[in-house]
Amino acid sequence: MSIQRGENGLVRFFKWLWQGLERTIFVGIKFTYPSRFVSPMGFLGMLTFITFIILGITGALLMFYYEPILDRAWDSVKTINNTIPYGFHIRNIHYHASNTMVFLALAHMYYQYFSGRYKIRNEVLWVTGVILGTVTILEAFTGYDIIYNERAELAISIASSLTNSIPVIGPQLREMVFGAGFADFVLRFYALHVFILPIVMLGLMAVHFPRFLVFDVPMVMAVAGMIFIVAGVFPVELGNKFDPTVPPDITVPEWYLTGIYAFLRTQYDKFVTGVLWPGLFIAALAMIPFIDRYKKLSWKDRPLITAIGITSLAQIIVTTYWGFYIDPDFNKPLLDRIVIDPILFYTVMLLLVPLSFGFTYMMIKLAKHFEELNKKEAAARKAKGTTGLNISIKWGWWLLAVLLAFQVYLNIAAYYAGINGFKNVQLFIIGLVLVTFAGIFHLYRYLNEQVKKAKPMAKPAPKEPTPRPVIEHKEKEAEVKPVVEAKVRASTVDNVKSPVTSSLPPSTQPSSMGSNPNPNPASSIGSNVKASGDLSDIV
Amino acid sequence: MMGGREDKGEDRISRREFLKLMAAAGTVLSFTPFIDWGKFMPRAASGRIEKVAVELPDGTQANVKTFPTNHAETVIYPKTGDRVLDQEPFRVWKVVRLPEEMGGARNDVSAFRCYSDVCLHLWCLWNYFPQENKKRGECPCHGSIYDMRTGVAIAGPAFYQSPPANLLPKLDLEVDSQGYLWILPPTFSLEKNGIIGFGRFEKGVNV
Repeated sequence: MSIQRGENGLVRFFKWLWQGLERTIFVGIKFTYPSRFVSPMGFLGMLTFITFIILGITGALLMFYYEPILDRAWDSVKTINNTIPYGFHIRNIHYHASNTMVFLALAHMYYQYFSGRYKIRNEVLWVTGVILGTVTILEAFTGYDIIYNERAELAISIASSLTNSIPVIGPQLREMVFGAGFADFVLRFYALHVFILPIVMLGLMAVHFPRFLVFDVPMVMAVAGMIFIVAGVFPVELGNKFDPTVPPDITVPEWYLTGIYAFLRTQYDKFVTGVLWPGLFIAALAMIPFIDRYKKLSWKDRPLITAIGITSLAQIIVTTYWGFYIDPDFNKPLLDRIVIDPILFYTVMLLLVPLSFGFTYMMIKLAKHFEELNKKEAAARKAKGTTGLNISIKWGWWLLAVLLAFQVYLNIAAYYAGINGFKNVQLFIIGLVLVTFAGIFHLYRYLNEQVKKAKPMAKPAPKEPTPRPVIEHKEKEAEVKPVVEAKVRASTVDNVKSPVTSSLPPSTQPSSMGSNPNPNPASSIGSNVKASGDLSDIV
Repeated sequence: MMGGREDKGEDRISRREFLKLMAAAGTVLSFTPFIDWGKFMPRAASGRIEKVAVELPDGTQANVKTFPTNHAETVIYPKTGDRVLDQEPFRVWKVVRLPEEMGGARNDVSAFRCYSDVCLHLWCLWNYFPQENKKRGECPCHGSIYDMRTGVAIAGPAFYQSPPANLLPKLDLEVDSQGYLWILPPTFSLEKNGIIGFGRFEKGVNV
């Protein structure tokens, strides 16, 4: 590089460092920072990873005070929660981020499932993803076990007896993984939670990450903000320390395990209900790319696979709720309240299959019907020359100003909450600050886009409202995805094309839901991002 | 691919590659004798290899002549000397002398039972109730009830669990010539002494 005048040593050092990065792996990953709104459904995986990072940071901080010793584990968590400065915050963020991560991972999986993304040579990504999801749940599970309250003990005893119940190798496996007793459980679950499982997850992630990643700042902010808000509104309870001589309160596992818990509560054989069914479920999920032989990607064109997916979702939802539900009538004996009648339970499970298939059939019919309707509507709109929702630039700036004022107010409120020591309120307001910031960022981005679009057409139609950037329906994206890969390579073509298309009057903009006869490059996430990124460079 | 014959089949392994594989396998195998496979991960919880005195909470050794009938004592086995580990529920056992009508009057080992104190349902510690209408083990948490003659669950959540999770793990006892009670070396497997917190198989009881 040529060293210019006025550059000091520090600038030169950073330039040198930046150039050195070309030799590292980071250059191989293509990060895109979309300059306009992209549906978060396409990068839920990235959001899951961000939550993983949040968990890593807060978890590392918790490690400074947590003691994985039989008689001190619960007390140390209590100390973190009640006396350590900011311990309450960090613990709550860690807990709610863990739930968020499991939820986002599940949502990510089902989105990819219904949009058929596992096809086009993504089978390895899919299978590693399923394994990664399972390990994520194990990671979350080991995390809430090491608190060693009554609920943790319930979970540990179930995990241990399920492992024991595996034929032939079960007891040996149990001894190897869990050790000999409570002292070992706490220490080993801790080792699994803070080191072994995260390392396994990182290894799987290295395989699971696609080459193109979307890092959308407002969406990341919003997810982080939501974690804070939920942590503020529903702070996690400490629970009672487990004492084997004291009757515990009735507890249920975390929500991502109540499904299995419902099966266990039928009191059937532990191996079949607790290991075989979930194992078969996970194996079937992993096998889906090799079962699915449909040529098309959209869920509407793969009725059988969609029906299977809906069935699994229905069964997950029903078992998750059933696992939570315990008859609140205290007069009944405990056993009657806890045990689920296996005949009723399995009948419902079986009934859900035809119901889900029928539901899927109806949904596909409805979706196709509305697709037709939307086409007509779009045509009508075209004739009229108007689009759906949009905000004029002037009102947009006003909204931005109001949001900024709100942000200032929130910051002051957070300051006072901090002074007064309202830990929940602090968390809640910090969450609001983050979400509001996400809103500001998003609005600003949107307005910039509008201004850029308004410029070229200022002469022909100055008063006409500019269209809101259209979010395409995902099925269309999925369908054009194979084409897109080639298109991204030939991005120079897109670079020229996309600003032109987006600066045209609204009538030529592809409307949402409407079918898109000529797959516009801006109609898939990958190329949408690409195109918009280039757009900002060019315009 | 170097050899003339190997050139044709792409999937055939070449001589050099075969030797490389052999070298790798040899390296691994040469280390295997030094790794006592599988001995690191499981904690040596399988008790002692010699018999151990039944030590009562007051520090004395249990004796047939002084141990009252219809009575239970808590015993820690195996003892480590570590304060934290010794309060571990998985090391807590109940030595029970049966009531007279169940054969507790005899002055030999058949009058005694030693069961794991960990309830098979959710790992609370059950207690022995010597009352006239009870004479059985009951768990304070969810009310599982155990018959002291065999250790089988006769009511409560543990009763509804399928074998082996409805029969308490046990320790075998021995009485010496002076009447002192000893714990024989156990084997913690489902068919022998059972697995603590999980259960045991016994012909004629739950199989």
